[in-house]
Amino acid sequence: MKKKLVSAMLVAAMAVSMLAGCGSSASSSDSTGTSANSSSDAKEDVASTEGLASTSDGTTLRINLASEPDKLDPALNSSVDGAALAANSFVGLFVFDENSEVQPALCDSYTVSEDGLTYVFTLKDGLKWSDGSDLTAADFEYSWKRAANPETAADYSYLFDVFATADDGLINVKADGNTLTATLNAPCPYFLQLCAFPAFMPVPQAAVEAANADGTNPGAWCQEAGFVSNGAFTCTEWKHNESMVYTKNPYYYDADNVKLEKLEYMLSADDTAIFSAYNAGDLDFIDTVPTDEVQSVINNDDFYVVDQLGNYYLQFNVNADMFDGMSVEDAATLRHALGILIDRDYIVTNIGQTGQHVATAFVPEEMSDGNGGVFRENEYDYPDKDSNGYFSAEYDFEAAKAEAQELLESIGYEFDDQGMLSADTPISLEFLLNEGSGNQAIAEAIQSDWSSIGIECNIKTEEWDTFINDRKAGAFSIARGGWVADYSDPINMLEIFTSDSGNNDTQFGKDPSNTAAPDWTKYDELINQIRTTTDLEGRVAMMHEAEDMLMDTWAVVPLYYYNDLYMCKTNVSGVYSDVFGTKHFQYATIN
Amino acid sequence: MSKYIVKRIGLAIVTIFVISIITFFAMNAIPGGPFDSEKATTPEVRAVLEKRYNLDKPLVEQYVIYMKNVLHGDWGVSLKTGRDIGKTLFSSFAVSAKLGGMALLISVIFGVVLGSIAALMRNKWPDRLIVFFTTLMTAMPSFVLATFLLYFFCIKLGWVQVWSSQSHNYLLPVISLSLYPMAYITRLTKTSMLDVLGQDYVRTARAKGVSQRKVIFKHALRNALIPVVTYIGPEIAFIITGSMVVENIFTIGGLGEKFVSCISNRDYTMIMATTLFLATIMVFANLLTDIAYKLIDPRISLE
Repeated sequence: MKKKLVSAMLVAAMAVSMLAGCGSSASSSDSTGTSANSSSDAKEDVASTEGLASTSDGTTLRINLASEPDKLDPALNSSVDGAALAANSFVGLFVFDENSEVQPALCDSYTVSEDGLTYVFTLKDGLKWSDGSDLTAADFEYSWKRAANPETAADYSYLFDVFATADDGLINVKADGNTLTATLNAPCPYFLQLCAFPAFMPVPQAAVEAANADGTNPGAWCQEAGFVSNGAFTCTEWKHNESMVYTKNPYYYDADNVKLEKLEYMLSADDTAIFSAYNAGDLDFIDTVPTDEVQSVINNDDFYVVDQLGNYYLQFNVNADMFDGMSVEDAATLRHALGILIDRDYIVTNIGQTGQHVATAFVPEEMSDGNGGVFRENEYDYPDKDSNGYFSAEYDFEAAKAEAQELLESIGYEFDDQGMLSADTPISLEFLLNEGSGNQAIAEAIQSDWSSIGIECNIKTEEWDTFINDRKAGAFSIARGGWVADYSDPINMLEIFTSDSGNNDTQFGKDPSNTAAPDWTKYDELINQIRTTTDLEGRVAMMHEAEDMLMDTWAVVPLYYYNDLYMCKTNVSGVYSDVFGTKHFQYATIN
Repeated sequence: MSKYIVKRIGLAIVTIFVISIITFFAMNAIPGGPFDSEKATTPEVRAVLEKRYNLDKPLVEQYVIYMKNVLHGDWGVSLKTGRDIGKTLFSSFAVSAKLGGMALLISVIFGVVLGSIAALMRNKWPDRLIVFFTTLMTAMPSFVLATFLLYFFCIKLGWVQVWSSQSHNYLLPVISLSLYPMAYITRLTKTSMLDVLGQDYVRTARAKGVSQRKVIFKHALRNALIPVVTYIGPEIAFIITGSMVVENIFTIGGLGEKFVSCISNRDYTMIMATTLFLATIMVFANLLTDIAYKLIDPRISLE
C-alpha cells in the first residue's frame, strides 16, 4: 500500500511537471520583449521577500484599488476608485492634502467677493497639458460647463447647481486669460472643496470633442491608454481587466516633487488574489483585505486605517405597513425602541473589527460646519449639552432592553414577566440588505438583539441592483444604508432626506396622506433655506435643527462611521487617503 | 451532406434568434437598470441616458432597433462604460480563446492517452492511479484548484508572480482550466475503449493475427473516440469563452468574467452581446461535432 502511494505521488509530480512545460512555453511565446527582463527580476524579488518592505525598483509603485474602472473621464466618474485614478492623472484648481484640507493646486491666488457669491481665481503661469499644449482658464470654463450640461449626463452634474445661471442659460463661469470668474447663486462654504473634486478637474476640449463627434459618447476620448491629462501621471498602458500603467507627466505643474516614474495598477476585485499578490511582493499598496485576514495583519506596521466622512446606518421606510394605523409619534416611538435595542459596540468590535467609531448622530464626527468649525463641536446641545449625540455614550444592553420595553409598553405593546413581548401584540419585521458577508453579520447581530425581547425579524438578502431598486421604490420596512460624503459639509448628509431627493429611501414626504409618516414640508423648507442663506452662522444652527428633526423621527439609526483600511509597504512614504476615500500617490516615494 | 449542413445552419439561425428574444425580454424583466447606483442620478441625467440608448422606447421597439443594429454589425456600446462592445467582446475573447485553446489541447491529448492506458492496463497499478487522479480532479471545483495553485506556486514556491503589469504567465490558469476536462476525457476514453475492446470485430481482428498496435489504433481507438467527440463539441464552446473563476483569480482580462459582471451591472447591450456570442459558438460547435461523427464513423448517417 505504501509503495503504491509513493509511486502515485511520483507519477503525479511527473504529470504536473509535464503540464508545466507545456504551459510555460506557450506563455513565453506570448510575452513581449520587455517582459522577459522584468519577470526574471521579479522572481528574484519574490524569493527575497519576507518582510513588509516593497521590493519595487524604487521608481514604480504597484497598486491595487479595484477592478477595471468604468470611466476615467473625471467628469463622468462616480466611483471611489475612479476618483483616485482621476486624482493621480488630473488636477484641478485645488487639491486635498494629507489632512484632507483644501490646498491650491493650479490656482495661484483667488478672491471672494464680500457677499460670498463671486470667486475670481488666478491660475499659475505656464500650465500645460501632458501633450505640452497650454492649459488656460478657458479649459476650466469649458470643462465646468461641459460637466454641468445635462447632455453630458454626468452623475455629479448636480454639484454645479451652486452656480448662478448666466444670460445664455449656462452656468455663470467666465475665463479671461489667466483668470476664471465663477458666480454662485448663494454663498457656498464648500465651494473650494468642490474645486478639488474630480468633476471640477479640467478635460482637454479638442480631444474630448474629436472623440465624440456625434455627441452620444462623451467619455470616448479616454477609453484607451494614451489620452491627454494634466495630473502627476498619464495613462500610458491599459490592458483591460488586467493592468494599467501610469507614467510621470513631465508637464505636471509640480513635477519636481513627483519622485515616482510609474504607477502600475492591478485591475482586480478578487480579495484572495489581491492579498496574495501583496504578500508575494507583487504589489506595494492594496485597498482591501479579506475579512478573515484582517485580524492577522491589523497590528502590522504596513496596515493603515483612516477615518472617512460617512456612515453605515439602518433605515425605516416611514410608509411601511408596519406603521399602519399608528400616529406619527407612536410610529417614531416604535422605531426609537428598535433603534436603541441595537448593540452597536458589539457590531463595531466583532464585525467591523478595524476600530470604527460608533455613530452617535447622522452627520459624521469630523465634518466641518461650513463656518470654520467642526459641526459636532460647536454649540452642540441636542438633546442636551452633556450627551454626545443622540445615543447615550455608555451603552448598556440590559438598560436598553428595559428602556425599549418601556417605550413599547407606552404605545400599547404587552410584555410577559420575563420581559418578552406577549403573543397578543407581536412584532414581526423584515430587514432588507444586499449580499455581502459584513452586511449579513450585522443584520444577524441586530436580529439577535431584537429577539432578546421577542421581536421577530426576518433577513431578506438581495442582489445589489435589485436591492437599490427596491429600496428606492420603498419596497421594504427596514433596510441597510450607507453614505460617504462628497465634500465636508453637513448639507451633503442632510439633503439626501428631502422629499424630492432621489436618495430619500426612507420615503419622507412621499405619501402626505399617510398619517403615520411625519409631515416633511418643514424639513424641505429648512434644507432650502440652508442652501440659500447668506448667514453662515445661522446656517450652522439650521443644519443642527435639520439633523434634530431627522433624528427625532428615528427613521434613520446610524450604526457606525466608516473608516477605510489599506496596506502599504513600510518603505513607501507619501501615500495618503483623504476623508472621502481618495488615495493620492503623486508624492509617494520608495526608500 | 451539404444539404444537411445548410439545413443545420438554417436551424442554428432560428435558434439564435429565439435565444435573442428570450434574453432580451428576460433581462428587461429583472429589477434594476444600468443607471442605478447607490447615489441616485438626477432625473434629468437619467432621462438623457435613457434617450441616448433608446431605453425610453417600448420594449418591442427597443428589440427591433437592437437587432437591426446587430445585423449591421453594430453591437453598440456598453451602457456602463461607454466602450464599444464589438471591440471589448473580441479582444477579451481573444484572450479567453488562447487560454481555452491551450487548455483544451492539453486535456484532449493527455485525456485520450491516459484513458487508453487505463483501459489497456485495466486493474493494474497505472489504471488505479489514473482512476484515483481523475476522480480527484473531477471532484475538485476550479476555484479550489486555482486557489491552491496560486498559493503553492506563487506564494510558497515563488516561481510565478501573482500579478505583473508586464507579462502574463498562462501556466497556472491553463492548468486550472485543463485538469477537469482532462480527467473527464480520460474517464470517457477508458470506458468506451473497454467497451470497444470487447466487441466482436476487435476479437475477430485479433483472431486474424492483426498486431496489437494496429488493433488499437486502427480499430479500437477510432470507435472509442465517438463519446469523446460528443463531449468535446460543447466543451470547446465553454472553454474558449472563458471561466470567470479562473480569470478572476489570475487577473486575466478574458470573456468569462463578462458573462457575470454584465448581468449584475444590468449592462443590457453587454448581456445581449455575450449571450448571442456564446449561443453562436455553441450552436456551431454542435454542428461541427455532428460532422466529426460522420468523419470518424462512416456508418453514421446525417441525412
